[in-house]
Amino acid sequence: MTRYAFFPGCLIPARHPAMEFAIRSTLPKLGIEIVDLDGASCCPDPIYFKSKDKLSWLTVAARNLTLAEDLGLDIFTNCSGCTATLSETYHLLQDEELRDRVNHRLARIGRKYRGTSRVRHIATLVRDEVGYDAVRESVKRPLDGLRVAIHYGCHLLKPSRIMQVDNPDDPQVLERLIEALGATPVRHGNWYLCCGKACDGDEIPNQMMHDLLTTVHQEKADVLGMICPTCFGQFDHGQMKIAKLFDEDFHTPPIYYFQLLAFAQGVPYERLGFDRQRFKPIALQRYEEVATK
Amino acid sequence: MSSSDAKDDIVRVDFAFKRELAQKIEGNLANFCYQCGACVGDCPATRYSSAFNPREIMLKVLYGLEAELLGPDSVLWQCTNCYGCHERCPQEVKPVEVIISLKNMLADRGLAPPAADRVIQTFMGNGRTVPDNPAIDKQRAKFGLPPLRPVPMDEILALLGPEDEEGSGS
Repeated sequence: MTRYAFFPGCLIPARHPAMEFAIRSTLPKLGIEIVDLDGASCCPDPIYFKSKDKLSWLTVAARNLTLAEDLGLDIFTNCSGCTATLSETYHLLQDEELRDRVNHRLARIGRKYRGTSRVRHIATLVRDEVGYDAVRESVKRPLDGLRVAIHYGCHLLKPSRIMQVDNPDDPQVLERLIEALGATPVRHGNWYLCCGKACDGDEIPNQMMHDLLTTVHQEKADVLGMICPTCFGQFDHGQMKIAKLFDEDFHTPPIYYFQLLAFAQGVPYERLGFDRQRFKPIALQRYEEVATK
Repeated sequence: MSSSDAKDDIVRVDFAFKRELAQKIEGNLANFCYQCGACVGDCPATRYSSAFNPREIMLKVLYGLEAELLGPDSVLWQCTNCYGCHERCPQEVKPVEVIISLKNMLADRGLAPPAADRVIQTFMGNGRTVPDNPAIDKQRAKFGLPPLRPVPMDEILALLGPEDEEGSGS
């Protein structure tokens, strides 16, 4: 087992505990030991918190990173927003002057940022430390024939110089992770588009979501796979709003990748919290019936 | 513009504004913008809003047109924070970071939108951006998860005070 410090953030533990359950269920089966961090706060939020005061944002983020440094562990995140904040902090604080300014503040609470813990998004952790083959071997019920449209979201990939996850113009990581479950990844026409959640106001995000849902729907996928809880909210609760607003039915249930993995590894459908979603990935149930026959 | 009143259209670079922006982290990067427009083609906010154009925003920054950037309901909040411009910029201007620096200046002037204030207020209360609610731990228990771990707010609040002057001897 390789040990990694788990940075859960806010949205997944507080709003989507089913996602956290899936992470805690799947990673140990892939040889990763989850080490919880004591005293972690919000990453903090890379949109509004950063917009308010970037130095405070960096300082709070650096404090979170020191918690993993204290344990001598690399950190993994389960949310693209947390990944953006912590990766950018790691990147910016390579600048000595800025690091001194942040450490000057951290000294108020007896902490010092060193830059010794790397930040990994959970998808890249699985890709790089576990490997697609080991994911495939962990699967108990292959999802043959399941069409999974993919939404990458923005902050997993961009800015690539800082995130260092994948080629933002032709990413592969989610496609390969979905293939490892036996499912078929589907790239839809607007795959590159932002979910719009971080844009203030309604008009722009509504139009964006409408165009996204339209091209997702054209693919007739069974589910829409993703790795970001913010995007997930846009595609679940948000999908209902857009369907009403435009009087169109898109009906593609979103699913967080690690819930899909947990299901493929044999966790029963009803234990994965799908009943709380507005659009439920009922297409999965046919694999459950096959397995119990 | 007609040539007869061209005199009235002379733009004077506002250096005070530019100095204030340069004090913000990565605020000075706009100086490297050569107006190529690579940021525009990839910008989802530009695709959906005629008012938002990152190249124009960088140009206004270069001229220091504070009034067009830092008013109430500033167009800057239409940025989707997708980081596409950061990815595309050949000069590493990071337009999104310049926009965030400008937003920091808007916040300094009390002009952040209510959504930003709500996030900060929630964070100042519990160290998270999701408000406390007894239903959260109940939901977590259904998945066999322990209650949310407390955030040491004394540490967080100590970090958020204003920066003490370097070398002020205090």
